[in-house]
Amino acid sequence: MNVVAQSVLVVEGLSKSFRGLNALDSVSLNVQSGEILGLMGPNGAGKSVFINVVTGLYPADAGTIHYGGRNVTGLASYELARLGIARTYQNIRLLRRMTVLENVLVATKEHIDRPLRSFCVWNQRSFVTAAKRLLEQFHLVDKSDWLAGSLAYGEARRLEIARALAGKPSLLFLDEPAAGMNERETEELSSTIRASHKFVEAIVIIEHDVAMMRNLPHRLIVLDSGRKIAEGRPNDVLAQSNVIEAYFGTDGTDD
Amino acid sequence: MLVEQIINGVVLGSMYALIAQGYTLIFGVLDKLNFAHGEIFMLGGFVCLASVALGASLPVAILITAIISGLLGLMVEFVGFRKFRSADAHITAALSSFAIGLVLIDLSQKVWGAEPVALTLPGSLQTATITIAGLKIVVLRLAILVISLLLMLVLYLVVLRTGLGRRIRAVAESPAKAALFGINVTRINQQVFVIASVMAGLAGLALAVRTGYSSTDVGFTFGLKALAIMAIGGMGDLRGALLGGLLVGVIEALAFQWGVGQFADVFVWLFMIAILLLRPAGLFGTLVSKEIRA
Amino acid sequence: MMQDYIVFVGVNMVLAWSVYVILLAGSLSFANGGFMAIGAYASGVLTVKFGMPLIPAALIAGLIAGAVGVLVGFPALRTRGIYLMLVTVGITVSVKAVIESIDYVGGIQGFGGMVGTRPWHVIALVILVGCGLWFLSKSPLQRILDAVREDELSAASLGINTVYVKLVCLGVGAFLAAVAGSFYAHHLIHVTPDQFGIVVSVFIVLYAVLGGTNNMWGPPIGGVIMTLIPEVVRGLESWRPTAFGVIILVLLLIRPDGLLAFRDVTTRAKKIW
Repeated sequence: MNVVAQSVLVVEGLSKSFRGLNALDSVSLNVQSGEILGLMGPNGAGKSVFINVVTGLYPADAGTIHYGGRNVTGLASYELARLGIARTYQNIRLLRRMTVLENVLVATKEHIDRPLRSFCVWNQRSFVTAAKRLLEQFHLVDKSDWLAGSLAYGEARRLEIARALAGKPSLLFLDEPAAGMNERETEELSSTIRASHKFVEAIVIIEHDVAMMRNLPHRLIVLDSGRKIAEGRPNDVLAQSNVIEAYFGTDGTDD
Repeated sequence: MLVEQIINGVVLGSMYALIAQGYTLIFGVLDKLNFAHGEIFMLGGFVCLASVALGASLPVAILITAIISGLLGLMVEFVGFRKFRSADAHITAALSSFAIGLVLIDLSQKVWGAEPVALTLPGSLQTATITIAGLKIVVLRLAILVISLLLMLVLYLVVLRTGLGRRIRAVAESPAKAALFGINVTRINQQVFVIASVMAGLAGLALAVRTGYSSTDVGFTFGLKALAIMAIGGMGDLRGALLGGLLVGVIEALAFQWGVGQFADVFVWLFMIAILLLRPAGLFGTLVSKEIRA
Repeated sequence: MMQDYIVFVGVNMVLAWSVYVILLAGSLSFANGGFMAIGAYASGVLTVKFGMPLIPAALIAGLIAGAVGVLVGFPALRTRGIYLMLVTVGITVSVKAVIESIDYVGGIQGFGGMVGTRPWHVIALVILVGCGLWFLSKSPLQRILDAVREDELSAASLGINTVYVKLVCLGVGAFLAAVAGSFYAHHLIHVTPDQFGIVVSVFIVLYAVLGGTNNMWGPPIGGVIMTLIPEVVRGLESWRPTAFGVIILVLLLIRPDGLLAFRDVTTRAKKIW
């Protein structure tokens, strides 16, 4: 079976530098259909830059990005989102002044694809039903009318993921979703992510939490100083000496 | 003739730069626009005028102008900005400073009238010229240029080399973080306002001395232009305000030289738009999306 | 006299709304005085020099202003919010300077002969715009605009073409300001460029902000109040600017979000269902 044909995303030779500093140095990887891919690396390794480039926030200096076989290098954020690449942010970016329900409703694909047409939409019943159904999957439907800004941290994370999935994407990027969570919350998050898997073809998750990255993803890739230094099954990768050194440092400090 | 006009432009530009630097300093530190700034500039000219009329010599008038401008700055900070500190309050702070400006203009017109008022200085001072490299230069204008550049140099050194400057830069980067480090943000805001207002007041004095009269509408016209200069140079950047001010001064001088003086304003704003198209954050500005930096 | 009031209040309401529409997508525009000028002069030329009736002339003038807004706004939208604001100031300044230099429309002396505004024109305009905005507030497009206004980055990640949305709002806002300007000019009969400068642009923004920009009712009410305040301080005729400034300051200190700052959130969400 041709691996490329099964890949949702193929990144080749991606490079990006800021003011002379190499944030990404010719990184190549692919995301396979049906998998949860983990992306790890110490601070400054380039994980966030990678996700920002791939989701269209910055243009790459070099390299190509193919999504579903199609060359999408250089497209803007919103174009990539419409093609089916969704993401969440490290510091949760919900629309805090809108309700939980509205946050999901705003992502409705039909409206976003034709914003002016949506001015004429009068009967929104079907859209509300669909949104509530999605919220139900994430155990948030009871708080539909709450302001998004009043949610607890864990709930806010769930909402952000739910909203990202409302647009029916094929590829979902999660940027440090477990930041600031304790063990129990991280467990809940992991099961939420596993449950999300049925809504989307592939998930890429950037995280620091080693326990989570050992158990959740099918495959793990490690970046260090803008370069890929390891790739494979989580247990294998985490046992590699260069990974241990890069990630934990020689004085054994944990993240 | 052309060279003389360019020199005129540079002198005018140095005054613009003084005003723009104050504006941009306040913007850099408080992240808000102070629309009363132009009126402090305007009042600088009138304070000087009043001091001289009351018998003060020029140096004393300069000192009085500086002091009163500083006090005005403190007042504006207290009335228009103290309560509106949050990041969401940009528009409110700007509008309140606009309202203060409105009041200042009206009160000035009550005292001095709406027509330009003449400033009388010892006769020789205003017309003395010297000849450098074959060009006749008015001493006064040269003095204004030199003193303006000196003031801006002093400001630059203060911001970069002193403890005060370090604290100012800390607040400019993040008031919340600066407060955590024990910096009294309110005090810094006040000091920034004083510095900016003194510069504006002295620029107003310079204008009054150079043109021979003060008028209540200069705050508006100069203040508006200072906004364009800030955008050209990059909001919050002192070098940008200097360079932008000089460029705008020269552009205006050239516009008059080439007979299209009535479009001088339009050229300045078009120039700003052109610069922003090429460099969306101005010459020295950075479109730092703090969000992405997370 | 009553006619005057109706026209001025109505025009100011629509002008406040023109700023509101642009603000819906997150941009603060100081160009609406300039758009108003384009409306007044363009419609004036059409009615006076070409004999066109008022309403078509006003609509065409609106389209012209909308086109100008979009053309100038498109490159400008790449810049950050505050730079965009300054570009809008530049628009107003430039429009005024250009009009002053064109002798065909009277230059600095101004342009005259514009007649035709009836109170019902203005009333109809207010009702039309009001209904449009009300309908908008119940539609999915309102949510999209809210998203763009609150967090552009997040909105883009959801697939919203934020530049397109902002341009549409800018174009519509320009259109509204121009139509209002047309009716205004054809009531005053004679206008001068001075009446459309940056001060007017700032005042229009004041109407909107003082009234509260979270919902569609704040701006027009701000417009009504600001139009009537000069009447209130009529006795203090000579102190009017100071009184104005003080009133604005007091209002801002008491209700910094504007007089009518509420957001019709949960009601709207419930009403959909």
